[in-house]
Amino acid sequence: MLFESEKSKFETLVKAYSPELYRYAYWRCRDRFVAEDLVQETFTRAWQAWEKLRDEKAAKSWLYTILRNEHARLYEGKRIEVDEAQELDEIVDTSNPGAYESFEMSDMLKALPPGYREPLVLQVLGGFSCAEIASMMNISEGAVMTRLTRARLALRKMPGPVTARRMKAR
Amino acid sequence: MNCFEFRRRILANPREKTREQEQHVSECAACANLAKEMENFEARIHDAVLVPVPEALAERVLLRHKIRSPGRLGVWAIAASLMVALAVVIQLYRGAADDENRVVAAAVLGDNHPAVAAISYVLDHEPQLLKEGRSGDPAVMRSALTRLGLALPANGITVRYLGKCPVVGGTGEHVVLQTPFGHVTLILVPDQMFAPRVVVADRTMTAVASPTRTGGSYILVSDSLTSVRQIEKMLM
Repeated sequence: MLFESEKSKFETLVKAYSPELYRYAYWRCRDRFVAEDLVQETFTRAWQAWEKLRDEKAAKSWLYTILRNEHARLYEGKRIEVDEAQELDEIVDTSNPGAYESFEMSDMLKALPPGYREPLVLQVLGGFSCAEIASMMNISEGAVMTRLTRARLALRKMPGPVTARRMKAR
Repeated sequence: MNCFEFRRRILANPREKTREQEQHVSECAACANLAKEMENFEARIHDAVLVPVPEALAERVLLRHKIRSPGRLGVWAIAASLMVALAVVIQLYRGAADDENRVVAAAVLGDNHPAVAAISYVLDHEPQLLKEGRSGDPAVMRSALTRLGLALPANGITVRYLGKCPVVGGTGEHVVLQTPFGHVTLILVPDQMFAPRVVVADRTMTAVASPTRTGGSYILVSDSLTSVRQIEKMLM
């Protein structure tokens, strides 16, 4: 009976968080097939470590952390180092604001260096606070705030969706 | 709160709205404009982040979990399953060469047998996957075929879907083929050996799970035994 009850809780968790985890996985690897594999592996690991989940309220951040670790284990050869100034300069040419007119928001998100994209996705998609993101990413809260600020500043340099502008022009 | 602090906070976390921020917005028109602009901008980021999720993702996760996990039913249940599996293996080996194609009922093998699980997967998920029309990497399929020592004939067969699917203990390359003998599903598992070869019937479908000489396995699923046998010959 106890097993059945735990199994039922696990199934509820799978149904509740699969879509959100898939989206997080997608923004980590930008490959739909790999993203689905990551979600599968995340829940397999979660079930194996089920006893470790003491507080059900923490399930969401627990699952995100498992997925993050799985991605690192399976697909990252090394830890991503973030050069906080240079990498954004490489993708946003401030001298030519029109250079990114063809980029839609999703393209710009894809173009962001992973170290900047990840806290943004965790905040926008997962609704996590800066402190929670800091804990997940093993960096300071201040570093999270800096990355979020710089990521948004980089995205704001984009003039606007091409499609929207075309619609206006008509 | 001054303008600098307000901007720093709103760029780091636009959703956060403290009393201090609200008071500053009521006093500063420039920051009020920025706050409004950030709200629209944040909505655009949010929309972009919400990429489409594959249909029936949670169901696929649960199916794979069911296949992979023996559960926590205890040693007795596992021992009983092993006894049944052993009896099936002995029974299958006992027969002559013709027994290779003897059809076994799904109930004899149990839901966790790769061939039975494959039939369930095909019946439960394939219609939706075909409807979505997405497809995987042909190079991955070719590599899996080569590793298994198999080959798809150049003529008469159309690949309708390529993707990954759960199999007992891992993942397989899921290929849906339109053949002269009808619709056939081929699941390639280069890393696992499903031995001995089994032909199983379940509901309206027939499946064969067979090991290859290279140490991997393949599973074929179709609505008729004839189709399964014909396509198997073509793959060799």
